[in-house]
Amino acid sequence: MILDPILDMFRGKAVTIPPLDGAFRPNTRLDDAPVFAELTEPDNLLTSGDRVLASSGNAVYSLAAGAEPKVVETTPSPVTALALSPSGELTVGLESGKLLISGKEVSLPVEVRCITALAYDEDGTLWLANGSAEHAPSQWAADLMKKGASGSLWKQDATGDAFRKVAGDLAFPYGLHPLGRDVLVSESWRHQLVRFDGTTGNRSTVLTHLPGYPARLSPSADGGAWLALFAPRNRLIEFVLQETHYRQDMIDQVPPAYWIAPALASSRSFLEPLQCGGIRTMGIHKPWSPSRSYGLVVKLDAKMQPQFSLHSRANGTRHGICSVAETDDRLFIASRGGDCVLAVDVASGGF
Amino acid sequence: MSFRERLQSWRYNLVPDHLVGEILTKRWTDNAIPFLALVVTLASFGSVIPGFFKLNALQESTRQLGEFSMVVIGMTVVMLGGGIDLSVGSIFALSCFSAVYVFFILEQSIWLALAASLATGLVFGAINGYLVGYLRLRAFLTTLVTFIFGRALFDILVTTYAADVQLSTATSDVLDFIGDSTFWGLSVSVWLAIILAIVTHIALTRSRPGWHVLAVGGSRRSAHNAGIRVRRTVFMTYVFSGFCASIGGFLIACRLSGAGPGTGLNLEIMALTAAVVGGVSLGGGRGSVIKGLMGAIIVLTMTNGLIRLGYGTGTNQMVLGIMLAVAVTIDIRWLKNRHKVLNEVYVAPVYLRMGATQSAVPGSGTPYELDNRLSAADHIGLGELEGPEDVILDRDDHLYCGTRHGEIVRFFAPDYVKSEVFAHIGGFPLGLAFDKSGNLISCVGAMGLYSVSPEREVKRLSAETARSWTSIVDDARLRDPNDCDIAPDGRIYFTDSTKRYDAHDWALDSIENRATGRLLVYDPRDGSTKTLLDGYRYTNGVCMAHDGKSLFFAESWACRVHRYWLEGPKAGTAECVIRDMPGYPDNINRASDGNYWMAWLGMRTPSFDLSLRHPDMRKRMTRRLPQDEWLFPNINTGGVVKFTEKGGIVEALGDLTGDAHPMVTSMREHKGYLFVGGILNNRIGRYKIASADPNWTSPASYWGAKP
Repeated sequence: MILDPILDMFRGKAVTIPPLDGAFRPNTRLDDAPVFAELTEPDNLLTSGDRVLASSGNAVYSLAAGAEPKVVETTPSPVTALALSPSGELTVGLESGKLLISGKEVSLPVEVRCITALAYDEDGTLWLANGSAEHAPSQWAADLMKKGASGSLWKQDATGDAFRKVAGDLAFPYGLHPLGRDVLVSESWRHQLVRFDGTTGNRSTVLTHLPGYPARLSPSADGGAWLALFAPRNRLIEFVLQETHYRQDMIDQVPPAYWIAPALASSRSFLEPLQCGGIRTMGIHKPWSPSRSYGLVVKLDAKMQPQFSLHSRANGTRHGICSVAETDDRLFIASRGGDCVLAVDVASGGF
Repeated sequence: MSFRERLQSWRYNLVPDHLVGEILTKRWTDNAIPFLALVVTLASFGSVIPGFFKLNALQESTRQLGEFSMVVIGMTVVMLGGGIDLSVGSIFALSCFSAVYVFFILEQSIWLALAASLATGLVFGAINGYLVGYLRLRAFLTTLVTFIFGRALFDILVTTYAADVQLSTATSDVLDFIGDSTFWGLSVSVWLAIILAIVTHIALTRSRPGWHVLAVGGSRRSAHNAGIRVRRTVFMTYVFSGFCASIGGFLIACRLSGAGPGTGLNLEIMALTAAVVGGVSLGGGRGSVIKGLMGAIIVLTMTNGLIRLGYGTGTNQMVLGIMLAVAVTIDIRWLKNRHKVLNEVYVAPVYLRMGATQSAVPGSGTPYELDNRLSAADHIGLGELEGPEDVILDRDDHLYCGTRHGEIVRFFAPDYVKSEVFAHIGGFPLGLAFDKSGNLISCVGAMGLYSVSPEREVKRLSAETARSWTSIVDDARLRDPNDCDIAPDGRIYFTDSTKRYDAHDWALDSIENRATGRLLVYDPRDGSTKTLLDGYRYTNGVCMAHDGKSLFFAESWACRVHRYWLEGPKAGTAECVIRDMPGYPDNINRASDGNYWMAWLGMRTPSFDLSLRHPDMRKRMTRRLPQDEWLFPNINTGGVVKFTEKGGIVEALGDLTGDAHPMVTSMREHKGYLFVGGILNNRIGRYKIASADPNWTSPASYWGAKP
């Protein structure tokens, strides 16, 4: 109504989030999908040939159906990003802010301390997403709750020169998808996908108002891309983000695991916050109830618009999807909240 | 404590915000806006126009007001019945003419003139009523047609007979008296209006036909389903409106001794405006005669005042139109949004700093440490039961529990597979206790304290206590009776958890956290109910100590257990025996080893504890987010805790998987087993207690061995 803006001053403006509708219509495909491999908090997935590589903790594993994950490489600190160069060199970003290419450390500008994503384009240029200037990758929740926007985008030409800053002031860039000379970046805290021009660094928004916090992007065979959203947007969390005093006290006094903040998995401890809709009633946890964690993978078409999505809803367990990888008509999905890697048949038209 | 926090605690604990919501729940707030408008209108015209309140001027205005009020009362009744009557102006005019014609031209008695006047009104009202009520035509169009028809007829008649009226020599003392004199300082028309208003008010609020009118206006279909003769009721409202208009017409005939082309012109708009401005809802079913009269005074003061200020008819019409538009907008917006406003302002959080607590996390090494033992409990009634808040067993080992459908269900020993509805009470049966003669006493949420005899006869024991002096909402009513226990002398001690929320909204009380819980006692000897303690944050479980000299009760949102003394030097006082627990306590019951079991309905979370220190944040949360998104205490994990008479914690059992017993609201030990219930659960659990007395039962503990 016309008076709403005036009334809002007295009654408070409603906090709203984009609905799960259209291409985001909920389903249970992630919870229905078969487990490909059990792995603790699998983070970043890569495919090379018929191998599937996954990072978990301080190591990179090679996964195969029906076999225990095999360690490919161990690192001094937890792995936060993976990429494979066109010539087959495994590139690993670490929690400590170090970058290893084929096991050798590469020197980085001092500003880069939070490597969240790595990607090579066809001619060998390496893109690097630096999530935050203040926090390590594992402290992403603190960066969000402090409304961080200090992330940056870097690139290193195929010649192997020093890294060059393409863009700054990003709110936690978390995924990279090279498009020719440009790159598509998922900007997590702003719930959007932004395209950066490879030469000038000019940005253009491609997709906004995502219903979750976007994480890694990965190519799909048909020229589109897969986008993993690691946590859902939640109206209580968005409300707390506007509550300065409460949020500050929470950051200061409450252990991070029990914050009112997005999470990769939830309902594991009774010290976690609970919202009214999430109360178990008559043995049922409503799948549509508000939740701090969720499982969501979205297929983007060649124009980077959403086509369809795979979900694990509030009552599911395959939450916290940070990365997916497609190869030979199979889509591998790493669920950090569900401690497993799933495999979905893309060719059979299961969607 | 920071300065800001101290300010917050003062602001939210000393300013009684909750009263706003409580006042808004009152129906009389509907009258506030029209009453304010009335005061403002009278005050402003009274101050602008000199001599506005002088007796002479008032006399003439009140005469007019008497006639006008008649018409408005009729219009109000039609609108209350869900209709609208646009023909009141023409009925008024025609009735006036009837009286004039019979008296001046036919030169009959004034009483015959009155009869003709009334007959005219009743016939036109009946035509309206027949068309709208029985033939179910649209009220607006139908009465518009009768309005045009009646007006045209009146114009023809007036022009034809105007000269004859002028030449007539008929006189009557009665006519002069009605038209000019006063009786005890008030004119006849005002007296008649007052009498009609009183009669109509009593009829509407205290008689069957009146209630029928309101019911039909409120919801035609429901009224029909309830067996009300809707068509006849609607018919009668129009007949009544015609009757009122005709009396008005007769009175103006007496006052003016004639009828002119201006008689009753625009009266329907004025009457409609008056009714709507007064607060009679256009949608029907809401309003009163008083509201109609307030509107009548406002409209008449406004029009007369404007005329005396020198404004013409055009301005007058314009002002009327604007008033109507504003009133209709407020009426519709208020009706539509009243409950939303109420929802938004009702929750009025207070400040509370919870004490630091010991951890209940597995492996923390405290006595509160929860485990997974309860997940191993057998289930009883899985999938059949909904909401067994409390469970109890009788001397024959049968198991009883309440359900959210208002029933008490009995499961038969020994395997508890077969069940039956033992009694239907209604409400939400919560706490249970057996008295000495085997009656099952139950606190029924939203209803009161009830007793079910072994022969299944349901009897209400208590539904109210004394009202406190400062309450706005009636706090004598038991809103959320929660748990009860019985002293050796037969007196029933029970809790009423909150004065602010209904039983099914109990969890909302934790958001507000206002201390309104009570401990009460019902005395079966004289049937009285007394409030013993007041001002606790959600009083919950009650349990008589083993020696019967004191009782324990739980204060849920403060995570405390208190002991209330019935005898001894501390009789009548309460002391806190357990404070700052990590969980929210619910029911308390005796254990076989001389200790006590206490259920935890949920666990404290650091984020919620922190929000208790930010009442402003909670208030904004309730306004800006839908209820499903609100931050709650974690009531998805509960447990059972054993404590000693001195308040020491012995052990804690839980179900951390949350699959079988996420929230625990009650437990009862019986022959070595613990029976576990939960208000939001779909089963009762039966857990074998290691090292418990296999012969101990609760009835024997309270009332001795089987007689």
